[in-house]
Amino acid sequence: MRILIVEDDAALARGIVSLLRAAGHAVDHVAGGEEALSVSATEPYSLVILDVGLPDIDGFQVLARLRARGDQAQVLMLTARDGLDDRVRGLDLGADDYLRKPFEVEELEARVRALGRRRGGDAAPEIVIGTMTVNRSTGRVEVAGRAIELRRREWSVLEALAARAGQIVTRETLQAEVFGFDDPVGSNALEVNVTRLRSKLAPDGPAIRTVRGVGYMLDRS
Amino acid sequence: MSGGTSRAISLRYRLLLAMFGPLAVLALVLGLLGWVLISDVVRRTNDRVLGGALGAIAETVQVERGEVTLDLPPAAFGMLENSERDNVYYRIAVGGALLTGYADLPAPDPPTLSSEEPRFRFAQFRGQRIRIAEIRRNLPRIDAPVVVQVAETLQNRNSLRDKLMIALLIGECVLVGIVLLLIRPALGWSLRPLSDLRGVIEARDTRAAPDLSPLRTGPLPSELRPLSRSFDRLLARLDDATTGMRRFTADASHQMRTPLSVLKVQVALARRGRSDRERSEALHEIEDATDRLERLLTQLLTLARADEAGELPPDHEIDLKELSQHVISRRIRQAIEAEVELLLECGEGPFRIKGHRTLVFEMLSNLVDNAIRYNRRGGTAQIELFADPGAIRLVVSDTGPGIATDQRELAMSRFVRLQGERGPSGSGLGLAIVRSSAERMGAQLELGDADPGLRVTVTFTVD
Repeated sequence: MRILIVEDDAALARGIVSLLRAAGHAVDHVAGGEEALSVSATEPYSLVILDVGLPDIDGFQVLARLRARGDQAQVLMLTARDGLDDRVRGLDLGADDYLRKPFEVEELEARVRALGRRRGGDAAPEIVIGTMTVNRSTGRVEVAGRAIELRRREWSVLEALAARAGQIVTRETLQAEVFGFDDPVGSNALEVNVTRLRSKLAPDGPAIRTVRGVGYMLDRS
Repeated sequence: MSGGTSRAISLRYRLLLAMFGPLAVLALVLGLLGWVLISDVVRRTNDRVLGGALGAIAETVQVERGEVTLDLPPAAFGMLENSERDNVYYRIAVGGALLTGYADLPAPDPPTLSSEEPRFRFAQFRGQRIRIAEIRRNLPRIDAPVVVQVAETLQNRNSLRDKLMIALLIGECVLVGIVLLLIRPALGWSLRPLSDLRGVIEARDTRAAPDLSPLRTGPLPSELRPLSRSFDRLLARLDDATTGMRRFTADASHQMRTPLSVLKVQVALARRGRSDRERSEALHEIEDATDRLERLLTQLLTLARADEAGELPPDHEIDLKELSQHVISRRIRQAIEAEVELLLECGEGPFRIKGHRTLVFEMLSNLVDNAIRYNRRGGTAQIELFADPGAIRLVVSDTGPGIATDQRELAMSRFVRLQGERGPSGSGLGLAIVRSSAERMGAQLELGDADPGLRVTVTFTVD
């Protein structure tokens, strides 16, 4: 899933980025509120991890403006402040979740996974498509009882397609969800990943169809 | 308060003292005046009766066939009868010869007597004081003047005077006593607004979070209004102080949370790291976060020490030159890493000041740290010392970006970092520490331009 981290502390941002990349997400980082707004206007983030204390405009304002322009991305607020007020205010403004610094790493990961599931309107950790089971909490994929080893990008592609199984996912959407903007992306990187994924799911897993000129679709059956 | 260590006198006792003295003097004066007045009135009334009796007797003195005769009227003596059984004496004499009465009643000097108005005087008779009324009568064909005297002892007069005096004294005592007795209830009534005020104040500190808003009292007597106003001012100052403290604590905990989060994340990454490179990267981050926390903690403690209320420990003689060398030796490694040249320039000494060594050290240390941190590669950070008459100036300048004039006040606030997180790492406490320490020691702090860079001047006054 494509995640934007808005955090002004460079060291913390580096840590969260490494953590979430290791979990197979495409992660971008910005340090300021205005920058976050301009980046999220063009990139389809599924989740924004938003620090409240930002140097230019605070996280609440960023959130309010995101929601005002109809951005549906899940928002996880991070704050160093203690007050209940902050939590209530954040949730009222349309935040989906809230985490206080210093947080447990496992908790951050679990919340990110939970928010990712909620995005597809389906909060269950497991998606079952035919013979394939995708566990979004553990990142395990099984086809007919056989565990499939996936690389980070392959996992991202599969997660994006599985959440919308039976629907066409455009090439642009998939590209944006799988790669962060500072990932070095070759012109055919997406194709390479889709092809590799396709061969790993074969022969008994669901097929990934290419819809020429449009995008890809994961078969439901 | 009259003062010092002597115990304060209670208000009731004060009022008692303040009122009893003047009241007693007043009562004494009133008593003396009363004595004079009463004696006068008693004398006049009794004299009038005595004069009446004298007149009645004198009326009866006649000349009958060349002889002076008289017919003592019993009514005249009846007038003089009273409950005290005063003795009455009389004497009628023609010239020096006694006609009738008590021969030894002190005789007057006839020429001085008037024949119109009776004369009154006190005299001593048979061991008693008496009052004598006397008049002269000139009778036809009698050459010698006839002197008529009536006298009475003074028991009645004295007893009347004493009764009146006693009544007066009792009245005075009752008055003084009532006034003194009323002090207590009057004081209680007068002080009730004060105890209401106390009630309002006491209701405050029973609450967990102290309410430092102005007191909400009802209308107060004018005497108490200044007190309540000063109390409100004190509350306002206290409110400022606690708000500042609360903000500081919140800011401080906020500052700790981020490096702590970094630690947690990086520890997790180190534990999961699959390659040596990942693990060593995480360890590096952990080291940095630990340094940040350590620096933050040191600075918070320094600030708390500089802010600490109460007496500073005794002043030390501090040699600023020696202290600067010490700070430089502690910071030289940091300067080399940052590729900043660290210099000490000082002319003729001595650069001795009196002050708190730790405070001066922390102040200089933070200034040098800033000068290295907010500098450019290849720049210089310089400490200069100047001995002026009556003052020693410590100047720390750098070749960094400097601070714009309108940002300088802000730069000295706590947790303010002008360059945000994109600037060099720091806690935003350095200049706040310098300012607090300078204030604490009565030194002047001034931020200026070093062209380019920041020049911080601290002026210590010396005597």
